[in-house]
Amino acid sequence: MSAPDAPLANRPRRPLFQKYLAALFIAVVVPLLANGISEAWFGYRDQRVMLGHRLRSEAQSAAGKIQGFLDDITDQLRWTVQLPWREGTDEQHRFDVLRLMSQAPAVVDVVLIDGSGHERLHVSRVNPDIVNSGADHSQDPAVIGARASRLWYGPVTLYGGSEPHLTIAVAGPRAANGVTLAVINLKLIWDVISSIHVGQSGDAFVLDSAGRLVAHPDISLVLRGDDDPAAARLKDLQQAMTAAGEETTEGVNAEHRPVIAAMAPIPGPGWAAFVEEPATEAFAPIRAALWRTGLLLLLGAVFAAGLGYLLARRMVGPIRLLGQGAERIGAGRFDQKIEIATGDELQDLAHRFNEMAVELALSQERSERIARLKRFLAPQVAELVEGSDQERLLDSHRAEVVVIFCDLRGFTSFAGRAGAEEVMGLVQEYYEALGGIITRYEATLTCFMGDGLMLLLNAPVPCPAPALRGVQMAVEMQAAMQSVVSSWRGRGHEIGFAKGPATVGRIGYEGRSDYTAIGNVVNLASRICAAAADGQILIDQAAAAEIGDAYPLTPLGTRPLRGFAEAVPVFSVAASSPAGAVLHAAL
Amino acid sequence: MTILRRTVLAASALPLLRAGALAQSGRTYRVGLVSIGPPESGILSPGMIQNFAKRGYVEGRNIEFERRAAQGKPERLAGFIDELVAKPVDVIVTSSYPAAAAAKERGGKIPIVVINSGDPVATGLAASLAHPGGNVTGVSEIATELSAKRLALLKEAVPSVKAVAVLWNADDFGMTLRYQAAEVEAKRAAMLIVPLGVHAPDDFDTAFSEMTKQPPDAILMVTDILTILNRKRVIDFAREHRLPAIYEYARLVRDGGLMSYGPDEAGIADRAAGLVDRILKGANPADLPLELPSRFQLAVNLQTAKTLDLAIPESILVRADDVVE
Repeated sequence: MSAPDAPLANRPRRPLFQKYLAALFIAVVVPLLANGISEAWFGYRDQRVMLGHRLRSEAQSAAGKIQGFLDDITDQLRWTVQLPWREGTDEQHRFDVLRLMSQAPAVVDVVLIDGSGHERLHVSRVNPDIVNSGADHSQDPAVIGARASRLWYGPVTLYGGSEPHLTIAVAGPRAANGVTLAVINLKLIWDVISSIHVGQSGDAFVLDSAGRLVAHPDISLVLRGDDDPAAARLKDLQQAMTAAGEETTEGVNAEHRPVIAAMAPIPGPGWAAFVEEPATEAFAPIRAALWRTGLLLLLGAVFAAGLGYLLARRMVGPIRLLGQGAERIGAGRFDQKIEIATGDELQDLAHRFNEMAVELALSQERSERIARLKRFLAPQVAELVEGSDQERLLDSHRAEVVVIFCDLRGFTSFAGRAGAEEVMGLVQEYYEALGGIITRYEATLTCFMGDGLMLLLNAPVPCPAPALRGVQMAVEMQAAMQSVVSSWRGRGHEIGFAKGPATVGRIGYEGRSDYTAIGNVVNLASRICAAAADGQILIDQAAAAEIGDAYPLTPLGTRPLRGFAEAVPVFSVAASSPAGAVLHAAL
Repeated sequence: MTILRRTVLAASALPLLRAGALAQSGRTYRVGLVSIGPPESGILSPGMIQNFAKRGYVEGRNIEFERRAAQGKPERLAGFIDELVAKPVDVIVTSSYPAAAAAKERGGKIPIVVINSGDPVATGLAASLAHPGGNVTGVSEIATELSAKRLALLKEAVPSVKAVAVLWNADDFGMTLRYQAAEVEAKRAAMLIVPLGVHAPDDFDTAFSEMTKQPPDAILMVTDILTILNRKRVIDFAREHRLPAIYEYARLVRDGGLMSYGPDEAGIADRAAGLVDRILKGANPADLPLELPSRFQLAVNLQTAKTLDLAIPESILVRADDVVE
């Protein structure tokens, strides 16, 4: 894997931010959407029902107006059958008719028929009046119909194949009053039909029972007669409505525009009034409502996205900060604090992280110090020194110390001859053999010197009877060295130590410091060691004085030592003595 | 009367809606108005312009009119039509059969709206009322039958009338038909017709001298351009000789004629403007049915009656739409 890919691999595949964002977004949008859609649906249904109601009531109103137009004429016609036909009433009847015709311009022709079914008067707007022609109308369906139900509407007939006319017959309350036949020019319904407006641009029209167009605001459509395709489309609308058994339908009108239409019966002549409204106009409120809902949903979604983004950021931001903080702690940088002021559990968590970082910093510092101490102190002593706030023990001071030197005899010449691996193997073996013993006796190791080492007792931590302890350790060392030295072709190992005052303390520079002792006693111990023979342990007089009878010592008299003007009394320690063994066991 | 008033109201509400739509189309239409009669009357009158205005056509803004009055000289019509074709105009409106025939013959495919031209189906200008089929539509006339009705009304107004002088343009076949219808009715009603066919303005003097020699009981004037142009002389002659007279249009009664019966001229002109409107909006004249006059006006001038010492019976007054008092 190449280096640039590493951060990608570490990046979470499904980040928390996205999850929170998605969750919050969905939490807002889903209810909004559900609400919006249900409202739109119910709104649409209500609007649709209302539209149906409105158009039906418009249709009923239109039917009422058309019926009213016919009723006005019928009411006028009834005046002409109020009087029975008697001698001398002819003039009265005639005046009724003339008045009627001046009142009702749509009436173009009136025929009065007496009780016996004979024509008494025919008044026309075009032809001369005909009085008492006596023509027999008794078998005329209009007369029969009017006599049966007092009011009879004939079929719509087209004058000249163009202009629609309707015959209405009314009968008087008594048979003797006769029957009045009136021909109505239906073109004059235009005044009524063209005044009906449905919505903004909708209008009304009338079809008779056969589906023939009787009235329409576009008079040309009415006058085109029976076989007009535009009028046929209106007939189709009627048939669609009748077939569906409903009072409203969607279809195309005479001008081929999509419309929504409603129908209401005109009971008198058996016609039907229709109102039509362009579909675009009729559905405009519904469309507007849908647009409104859609826009609200969109705004809601944008709002939800914004809200989700903000909340997710508020939630994830601190988590990221925590993550970065943890990363810093992991990298060992404890100085920077995690700053979170959300006032919630995350702030607590950050606080704990910061505390942890402080603890970790302290702990690391301590373990570093211990590690440093361990370089020259036995681990248990190091722990003791560090933990007990007695680090000032390490500060320079003068102390009565026992300085111990160990030395591998002939090492230098051996190192010159032998190969590097052999040399290092031997040194390693040597230190391993002595290391455990040094640690056990809590001696302070001041330095390795390749073929030897220097130890201190009673510094920095004081111990009781340091010389005796030194002897015991030396004896054990020499015992341990037997196995090492035997494998080492018969060369020797000697130990010498002395007791005396020395200045002890840490020396060195930042990050590199050792603990050491400086004083005459150090030279003395070194020289005594140099004077020792293989396997011998030599000590000075001060050490011997301290030991006294505690360990068997053999005075060797004085010895001249390099660097010392006078010969120095030296004592030998009996190595591997039974008493030493006992003492060792007792230690 | 109430229905009549409703019509006027409905008609005046419509143009407001239409005017807006037209103002936006931004086009100026050109309409030719060709009458055989005098200028400033009939389709050349301000009333006709008003009929357009209420449909949203305002002269000088979105419509221009090319007015042509032949003043009784049919030979000028062909030239007029040629001028209109050269313009060209969008629609030609004609009044009188000769004008309609000239437009049909020389107007090419320009839509023609005809009025006062008799029955366009009978004269071959259109195929049928419901489907004219060509470029001619308009308002048809049923004036032939009305001659008989006029005679009957005259007789009813003045029951003593026996001999009626009929003045008509004997050169016009349509007018001759009207005269003949009156003749038939006279026979039925046991009246006597004095035929006074005229061919030129000068003939009126001959007709008047005839009537002076042998006075009739009344006059029936068949209205065409020839008689219209000489109406004043006829009305004056009738007053001088105390002769009751019946005319075709209410305006002759307002000019002093005793009575008239005929289709509502204003209504016809209005329908013609309505058809022009439809054509300008893209309708094909072949699909615009010819309309028939649906309203007829009986007009009576009671002042004239008074000068004639006539008592107009109640049966006439009750059906009169227009009474000049």
